[in-house]
Amino acid sequence: MAEAKIKVTGLTKDFGDTKVLKGIDIEIDAGEVVCVIGPSGSGKSTFLRCLNRLEEVTSGEILIDGESITSKDADVDRIRRHVGMVFQQFNLFPHYSVRRNIMFAPVDQKLKTPEQAEAKAVELLNRVGLGEKVDAKPSELSGGQQQRVAIARALAMEPDIMLFDEPTSALDPEMVREVLDVMKELAHEGMTMVVVTHEMGFARDVADRLVFVDDGQILEAGDPHEVMSHPADERTKAFFSKVL
Amino acid sequence: MNLSSLLDSFEQLSPMLAAGLATTLQVTIISLVVAMFLGVLVCLMHISKVRVLRGIAKFFIWIIRGTPMLVQAFYIYFALPQLIQLLSGSQFRIDVFVASLITLSLNAGAYISEIFRGSIESVDKGQMEASRSLGVSYSSSMRHIILPQAVRICLPSLVNQCIITLKDSTILYAIGLAEVMYQAKIYVGRTMESFATYTWVAVCFLLITSVLMLVSRTIEKRMRA
Ligand SMILES: Nc1ncnc2c1ncn2[C@@H]1O[C@H](COP(=O)(O)OP(=O)(O)O)[C@@H](O)[C@H]1O
Ligand SMILES: [Mg+2]
Repeated sequence: MAEAKIKVTGLTKDFGDTKVLKGIDIEIDAGEVVCVIGPSGSGKSTFLRCLNRLEEVTSGEILIDGESITSKDADVDRIRRHVGMVFQQFNLFPHYSVRRNIMFAPVDQKLKTPEQAEAKAVELLNRVGLGEKVDAKPSELSGGQQQRVAIARALAMEPDIMLFDEPTSALDPEMVREVLDVMKELAHEGMTMVVVTHEMGFARDVADRLVFVDDGQILEAGDPHEVMSHPADERTKAFFSKVL
Repeated sequence: MNLSSLLDSFEQLSPMLAAGLATTLQVTIISLVVAMFLGVLVCLMHISKVRVLRGIAKFFIWIIRGTPMLVQAFYIYFALPQLIQLLSGSQFRIDVFVASLITLSLNAGAYISEIFRGSIESVDKGQMEASRSLGVSYSSSMRHIILPQAVRICLPSLVNQCIITLKDSTILYAIGLAEVMYQAKIYVGRTMESFATYTWVAVCFLLITSVLMLVSRTIEKRMRA
């Protein structure tokens, strides 16, 4: 059996005296789409941010392609290059055009010449349906368009893992769809994805596995249909009765 | 005394004013340039993860903010040379223009570093995280993502600091820098024309600071647009 794409063992994270993650174990295979759900404040964002070391873990180990990202001497920048992240608030660079937002990282790290990066930016924008917006400033775009640019920006690094932290939570309802469609397409193309979301429809239709997190622990994990229709844990049941 | 005599006196005053203002502007502009670099350096030290650097930056800002500039000028022009003399055993004097430059640069540098720090901290945390999550290094993220946004935010305060430093430079008359107040004092001693002299000195400052205020307001307006 091939080794897991992402392997998390005994992951804990404290902020001062608050224990936010209390021992997370999970293995995610290449090409798998995992949706993480759970009440607000349960540690979903923190878990995701540990996966590309935006947060320093307190204890435990995270292996990506068998390589530790939690060890002291891990080359964090090199690992981040193939782990893309999409944020709830988009975090586009407001002083750059859409084109430069997408070109910036590959050119800065000399992975591409400006010409190559620009061609790639145009290709990615077409892919997310925003081909005509190359010269726009982020502030001129709707929320849904900004989030699609943010996805294109992450894809410009040609990652093989994508992390999404509530990518549609800051959007007006009518814009949720256009972002989810882009994500769905990515999933079908075989991207390994970890998605924190409240979109139960997306979780049910696209995810290979649903993970329910509460109070810094994984309470339940499995086939989305299975978990949603027959939740084993009381807290999972309570959660679904609210969101479904 | 009537208005026409006030205007007449300008003619006699103007060589003195020109000489004084030349020194004032020279010391102010050079100090502000030095202070910009010092400000960036101190600010980067202040927000760095290295404790010693943070400590040095905080200590420096504490000293400058906690003492009057007049005391700083006297300290640099009189006190430090004596200390150096005592330690080295040989004569040591510092040029008054150099002492003035150092005083004004350190002073403005401390305040500018605080302006920079405030602006950097007001840039959304998500900007650094987005950049780092793309594999971009800390220094590159700082240079290309954070600082350009911080500069935009800090421009009005920076122009304001230029006004303050220009005005503060008059304090250096106390250590004998031949800036505009120093020249004016000598001129009044010779001619007894206090009213005309200090009126014209004030007008000169108002003219320069008004231009700067206009610049600041234009920048603010353009930023809001
Ligand atoms: N930088 C931080 N410092 C202190 N506490 C934090 C920090 N980030 C998150 N927390 C706390 O950790 C807990 C989990 O947060 P988070 O991972 O954002 O939850 P979720 O994404 O599931 O809503 C919350 O109680 C939050 O207040
Ligand atoms: Mg969250």
